[in-house]
Amino acid sequence: MNNITDIIIRVFSGAGASSIIFFSTIIFSLPLGLLITFARMSKLKVLSGFAGFLISVLRGTPLMLQLFMWYYGPFYLFRVSLGLNWRLPAIIIGFSINYAAYFAEIFRSGIEGIPVGQYEAASVLGYTNSQTFIKIIFPQMVKRVIPPVTNEIITLIKDTSLAFAITYTEMFTVAKQIAAAKATIIPLLVAGIFYYIFNYIVAFVMGRIEKSFNYYK
Amino acid sequence: MSLFEIKNCKKNFDGVPVIKDISFKVDEGEVVAIIGSSGSGKTTLLRICTFLEYMNDGEMTYLDKKVVISENGKAKYIGQKNLSIDALKKNKELIKIKNYFGLVFQNFNLFPHWTVLKNVINAPISVEKRNKDEVIEKAMMYLKKMGIENKVNSYPCELSGGQQQRVAIARALCMEPKIIYFDEPTSALDPELTREVLKVIKELANEKRTMVIVTHEMSFARDVADRVIFVDNGVIVEEGNAKEVISNPKMERTKKFLQKYEE
Repeated sequence: MNNITDIIIRVFSGAGASSIIFFSTIIFSLPLGLLITFARMSKLKVLSGFAGFLISVLRGTPLMLQLFMWYYGPFYLFRVSLGLNWRLPAIIIGFSINYAAYFAEIFRSGIEGIPVGQYEAASVLGYTNSQTFIKIIFPQMVKRVIPPVTNEIITLIKDTSLAFAITYTEMFTVAKQIAAAKATIIPLLVAGIFYYIFNYIVAFVMGRIEKSFNYYK
Repeated sequence: MSLFEIKNCKKNFDGVPVIKDISFKVDEGEVVAIIGSSGSGKTTLLRICTFLEYMNDGEMTYLDKKVVISENGKAKYIGQKNLSIDALKKNKELIKIKNYFGLVFQNFNLFPHWTVLKNVINAPISVEKRNKDEVIEKAMMYLKKMGIENKVNSYPCELSGGQQQRVAIARALCMEPKIIYFDEPTSALDPELTREVLKVIKELANEKRTMVIVTHEMSFARDVADRVIFVDNGVIVEEGNAKEVISNPKMERTKKFLQKYEE
């Protein structure tokens, strides 16, 4: 029994590292995603073309490979050795940029779904383009994108385990180490339960946020 | 005094002419109805008057401000080099002229995330920087006039189409425009809701507000408008006193069009 308690405590100690990856990615990727959306929707062909290419590469290659690139890239490309301290920043950069690409496409579809009449009404009332976006388009976009963003966030929680690939010690890495050392599958089950609980909470919170926007259609 | 004038307006979409040559003016206190079949160009005309669409050639004047002049057979907007919707949107000069007019849309186009009151007061406060308390007072007065003062804290989705359209009219009024344009304001409404919206427009006409109304409601146009303009195929076929034109059209094309409404 003590044994299991010990496993739970040790696996849970890895949850802090997973949370750092999770929250950092959310904080950086959402605004970055919006910037990529602006670039993608820009009238400047060069900018929108570049954003389109970026999104296609980020979504079209494995996240694990991108993490390798961010972690080992500086050394192989520029012979810069950043050491083990570079591991967490590389993970956060890799995750944030990758998720920003997905969020960018979600935001774009959210913006494009808003009826053109909203822009026209705003124009006739004299709102400038930026006022129209900030006051009228953006708030309506937020409501529209909550369900797909929730999907991405749930995927992100599970994806944090990919940090294991560059041996960053988060929850999944810890669980796997204990499992290997003690020749038991229980640590992995415990980790699975923790991921599930974490996701359950996130889904609940996002559900609440979604409901808070139900005051209008 | 003429508040608005458009001269020799021409508009084509991808080379296809939609407005071939239209000129008309609107005097202060006048109600002008624009009638015609679908695709005749009347909605496009209204969109040009409200800067949602640009014209390819012609002239436009609001009061004494020349908004568009014709230069070498091409329309030239003040403060603008290119002819494009994008350029229209960015044009800072046009924003100032936008407070001369208001537009009421067929589909209301209220902002769904705002309450009725905020829909009406936000533009006067944040665009025109008017005093908030005064704007709210004005807004309440207009909402009362529209018969929806008890809905100020509702959201548009909680209102019927007729109520939404009346909010949209209050929103236009609260900007204190010199002209209000209506683009088929009752086309999305059933006969009962149509009646309540037409009733408030009629009240505005009685107050001698200057209005230009694109409509398919012939009896309404006859009763409310001073002047009617019949547009067909991108040109004005007939225009004149509303009662005369609708009761006794002179042109063959107008007769044919109006006959469809009698059946």
